[in-house]
Amino acid sequence: MFLHVFVNRLKCILGDRQIIFWTLMFPILLGTLFNLAFSNLASAENFSKISIAVVDSPAYQKSMLKTVIGFVSQAASSDSMFVVTLTDEKQAIDLLKNNKVEGYISMKNGPKLFVKQSGINQTIIKSFLDTTSQMESTFNSIVKSDPVKYQNPINLIQLQLSLTSNANLLKEVSASKSKPDTTVNYFYTLIAMACLYGGFLGLKEIGALQADLSTQGARINVAPVHKMKVLMGSLAAALLVNYAEILVVLAYLILVLKVNFGDQIGYILLLSLAGSMLGLSLGAFVTALVKKGEGVKIGILTGVSMMLSFFAGMMYVDIKYLITKNIPILGYLNPANLITDGFYSLYFYDDHTRFFINLGGVLVFTTLLCVGTYLVLRRRRYASI
Amino acid sequence: MVIKINDLVKKYGDLVALDHFSLEVKEGEIFGLLGPNGSGKTTAINCILALLTINSGTVEVFDKPMSPDAYDIKKDIGVVFQNVAVFNELTVYENINYFCGLYVIDKVKRAALVEEAIEFVGLQEFRKFYPKKLSGGLLRRLNIACGIAHKPKLIILDEPTVAVDPQSRNNILEGIVRLNKQGATIIYTTHYMEEVEEICTRIVIMDRGKIIASGTTQELKESVGSDENTTLNDVFLNLTGKELRD
Repeated sequence: MFLHVFVNRLKCILGDRQIIFWTLMFPILLGTLFNLAFSNLASAENFSKISIAVVDSPAYQKSMLKTVIGFVSQAASSDSMFVVTLTDEKQAIDLLKNNKVEGYISMKNGPKLFVKQSGINQTIIKSFLDTTSQMESTFNSIVKSDPVKYQNPINLIQLQLSLTSNANLLKEVSASKSKPDTTVNYFYTLIAMACLYGGFLGLKEIGALQADLSTQGARINVAPVHKMKVLMGSLAAALLVNYAEILVVLAYLILVLKVNFGDQIGYILLLSLAGSMLGLSLGAFVTALVKKGEGVKIGILTGVSMMLSFFAGMMYVDIKYLITKNIPILGYLNPANLITDGFYSLYFYDDHTRFFINLGGVLVFTTLLCVGTYLVLRRRRYASI
Repeated sequence: MVIKINDLVKKYGDLVALDHFSLEVKEGEIFGLLGPNGSGKTTAINCILALLTINSGTVEVFDKPMSPDAYDIKKDIGVVFQNVAVFNELTVYENINYFCGLYVIDKVKRAALVEEAIEFVGLQEFRKFYPKKLSGGLLRRLNIACGIAHKPKLIILDEPTVAVDPQSRNNILEGIVRLNKQGATIIYTTHYMEEVEEICTRIVIMDRGKIIASGTTQELKESVGSDENTTLNDVFLNLTGKELRD
């Protein structure tokens, strides 16, 4: 019986072009649009090298500043911090005046920074200069403390290297070794939305099963078969289709649009399966509970899915962070956010604690919705048809 | 007794749809259930099928109490609903096979039954057609095939000839008589009096949830003191009145 129902419901779902569009093609189209819209967003967040000028002088040539600037402005390095123009004071002033540089450094009367305006780049140059000055002061103190040892030039160079090697530049890296990219959150919410759109499949299956929702349902209810047996076959078919669709969307995002989901494919598949189950059970619950026409149910499902996806950051990623920061409980009560955050945690963290919290949340929601659906569906007679 | 309904009351809120309704249908009958719109025919059928909750009374089918999990009774009942109840994504064959499969698990036996049903309603040339490609008459025939493929002993047909052309209607009526001759008891509801006159062996006319007359066509005609030109339609209007109904 299970196989009979499963195979035929599979045919019914796959033959429904409208449902396949909304649950498969729509997320793919939306993902493509996201990709077009966000393709430059990640690169816009990349660190841009800061142009500075340094006034050449004997003092500069002998200073540690020269060595450190040498480290952080190597032209071939993608990690370099500064683009440095070594010049005289007059040209440095002109460069600053014409906005060719963010600031210039002069060693006249000690290292000093000259800027035209305040800003992030100017703050970075100032911090760099302060750190270097402290480093030089430390160097001088150490040399003075043991003048005999540092008469040897090799020791001097070793000391200088050991100090300058501490001048690490901070670089944001995710624990999963993936390239940091906040736009991936949009694609994660897209998968969450696709999972919730699986609710349309739940709607279709419950609608085809309930005598008060469809004539086909009435026919099933007069047959000598337990409704739950038919329900299991129907939902299994719907879950297979929904999960396959999610995998197709995932494959499209990863292989075609090159969206980075990290490298933990097993967990990604697990969360996708849980998300598919959640979407399906949401649709089943809404359909079983709401005693209105199919149009109203579709409207409710669409509205709920879009609203939950919005609060998970699909249209504006900062919403997710605002909720997480100010009302964190809302984040845990939003199934779309749990799915999104599950993918996010796989991408950014090696530790799976956060992932399993999200996965657990998804499964709890699914269980509650399934129990709710069962309580409505277990009724075997109807007040009206 | 195939069906025995005793003192059945069904209310929709304050509206009494079935008001102490009692009925008996004997084996081998083609039983006509007539009544104006809203008289309670479909409600009565849904109560017989244990689809609806009831306020009081009893329903027995094949001398056993009817309930949603009375599978031993349900396996011998076939229903043709007023609205076409098929899946648009399945072909004619697949639809009949799916619904028949809810009654008959054995695939070989089922395949034979499905073929027989297709032949019975004359859809041999349309077995691979999807419902959307079928005309209204063909859809009705498919609807009937889905309800009777498992060869039930009791067949309930709720206005199966609505919106079909005279040829299709004639075909359906002939099919119903054939099913009866093959041993099935039929309960038939319709608004077409000439259909009832043509095929039903006994008739019940109901209005406002109650039975207001019952008997053979001749008995009903005689009950209103008619002459030889009186039709069942005249009897119906005489009993239920001429005012418009919802």
